[in-house]
Amino acid sequence: MLGFLLRRLGDVIPTFFGVTILVFLMIHLIPSDPIQMMAGERGVDPARYAELQKEFGFDKPLVVQYFNYLGGVLQGDLGKSFVTKRPVIEEFATLFPATIELSVMGILFAVIIGLPLGVIAAINRGKWLDHLTMSLSLTGYSMPIFWWALLLIMFFSTTLGWTPVSGRLSVFYYIEPTTGFMLIDTLLSDEKGAFTSALSHLILPTIALGTIPMAVIARMTRSSMLEVLGEEYIRVARAKGLTPMRVIMVHALRNALIPVITVIGLQVGVLFAGAILTETIFSWPGIGKWIVEALNRRDYPTIQGGILMIAFVVMGVNLFVDLMYGVINPRIRHKR
Amino acid sequence: MALLEVKNLTVEFGSEDKPFRAVDSVSYSVDRGEVLGIVGESGSGKSVSSLAIMGLIDFPGRVTADSLTFDGQDLLKMPAKKRRAITGKDIAMIFQDPMSALNPCFTVEAQIMEALKVHEGGNKKQRRERTLDLLNQVGIPDPKSRMTAYPHQLSGGMSQRIVIAMAIACQPRLLIADEPTTALDVTIQAQIIDLLLKLQDDSDMGLLLITHDLALVSEAANRIQVMYAGQLFESGPADSIFAAPRHPYTQALLEALPERSTGNDRLSTIPGVVPGQYDRPKGCLLAPRCRYANDHCIQDRPEVTDFNGRDVRCFYPLNDQGQPTGQATGQTAGETV
Repeated sequence: MLGFLLRRLGDVIPTFFGVTILVFLMIHLIPSDPIQMMAGERGVDPARYAELQKEFGFDKPLVVQYFNYLGGVLQGDLGKSFVTKRPVIEEFATLFPATIELSVMGILFAVIIGLPLGVIAAINRGKWLDHLTMSLSLTGYSMPIFWWALLLIMFFSTTLGWTPVSGRLSVFYYIEPTTGFMLIDTLLSDEKGAFTSALSHLILPTIALGTIPMAVIARMTRSSMLEVLGEEYIRVARAKGLTPMRVIMVHALRNALIPVITVIGLQVGVLFAGAILTETIFSWPGIGKWIVEALNRRDYPTIQGGILMIAFVVMGVNLFVDLMYGVINPRIRHKR
Repeated sequence: MALLEVKNLTVEFGSEDKPFRAVDSVSYSVDRGEVLGIVGESGSGKSVSSLAIMGLIDFPGRVTADSLTFDGQDLLKMPAKKRRAITGKDIAMIFQDPMSALNPCFTVEAQIMEALKVHEGGNKKQRRERTLDLLNQVGIPDPKSRMTAYPHQLSGGMSQRIVIAMAIACQPRLLIADEPTTALDVTIQAQIIDLLLKLQDDSDMGLLLITHDLALVSEAANRIQVMYAGQLFESGPADSIFAAPRHPYTQALLEALPERSTGNDRLSTIPGVVPGQYDRPKGCLLAPRCRYANDHCIQDRPEVTDFNGRDVRCFYPLNDQGQPTGQATGQTAGETV
């Protein structure tokens, strides 16, 4: 198992370099150069220009610049925001918990709803339940996030008044961030009702964000389950006199999960892309919204840092998924 | 009373008004300590009939029978729960391809212990000891280390031994072996059959051996049942069937054995294939392939009749010389190539 872990870790290294090179080059691929971008329409006098070039290290050869950048990244230095002048990593660290909270809820929603839907569809193949769940998931998959989110807000928040429209917490409460995760912080605080408020703020963004992964997981589970249910070992399991429930939940699902787990890992990337939209619509103070704002302000270090960190998170999640894959599938674990 | 008594078992697929009969009114019985061989080409309904006995035919398949009794209890009339208590305990089954019969996600131990847990209970330690016993019994070398192996780490022969261990875990009284050696090497085949027969003999099990290997059945079975396109064609004691087949199909099968065609340049074959859902002949199902078929055979379908103490489904059963009886001459109306 340790060897498997090390091999998988080794696979991550080239990806790491690839991502840093791409992100590093981004600032050099934009039209005009970063210093003139910073200066804006006022322009900059040549002496100050040279000074700034030196300060940011733009006077050195590209390769040297890259290694300087890489050195910074490895030490947790992603540069300073052009706008706020604060270190990018610091801003990221403040905002990241909000995104994690939303994403984790989103993926939980997707798995908790999507997996059972897929299983139900598979065991009722060709019956109305199958058609119902699959057309629902296709609808969910086809729905653009911004549209879906607006529909949810219009129906549940405006018409029914069940949930708040935006934000993470009602303005009546002030919670000192300790973990940065609102659900945990409100639980730790003495404020009554704060947790319920935090939870109700999460519901609609979670649904908006989790719907597409949910649909993908449901469809993947269904087809994977159908394939497994046709396998001989399922018949053998039934021939042992096991209950249909045990045959499905233990013998079939365990095998059917293998491709589904991979898809869940891939969906995390989709989730971050979705988070940018969802956070903007729901005014959720996470990194999605942060990156969108940075884009509008041409705050390149922030964009670079944000993209790099998201890439790392996606890599990390997929590494974790690969390891899970090994836990679930003995054939992978033992491969030499 | 026979251990397993099957009367007019029919398995249908497809629509209600135009069903396809994969198994058509087949009757047989298996006694304690008896080996019944069911022989036939691919597509003759051997596997489907055994799956029906196990209760493993799913919707849209329909299983009907005048009676399907095991040890005096009608399997078709009992509630699902009660039937599951018999399935895997008193009646167990071995499948054709051992490499796909084991769940790739679980260890050998887990898969054998599961059957024990469901039917016999006991604690984990007892079940583990019993599993070790079973692996010894089916001749797995170094069983202790194999317990924690995963199926992908085992060879085909080894997997089949595990599958057998799994099937006999709860000491079944009837074992159904559906082509247990087809997927294995020839050298392993004999070992597996010897093992099955030894287990059968030791515990006085009834064994239903389904195969298309006549040579195998001739050595192993007490009685033989020849099936064709879902129908019973001939049944009787093994040695007498081999000595004097009464049905033209049995005769043709025997002639196709390589050891019986010494002196010929080519092996004898039966032209054509088993009719499927859409090309069922109107008369006798064998008529298009039968060397003795005449107009009568092509127009009408024969029923099973008693001929010299044997059940035969043919208008003109063969005599001891292998010639059709009750027919003026061997008209060759249906001989097609």
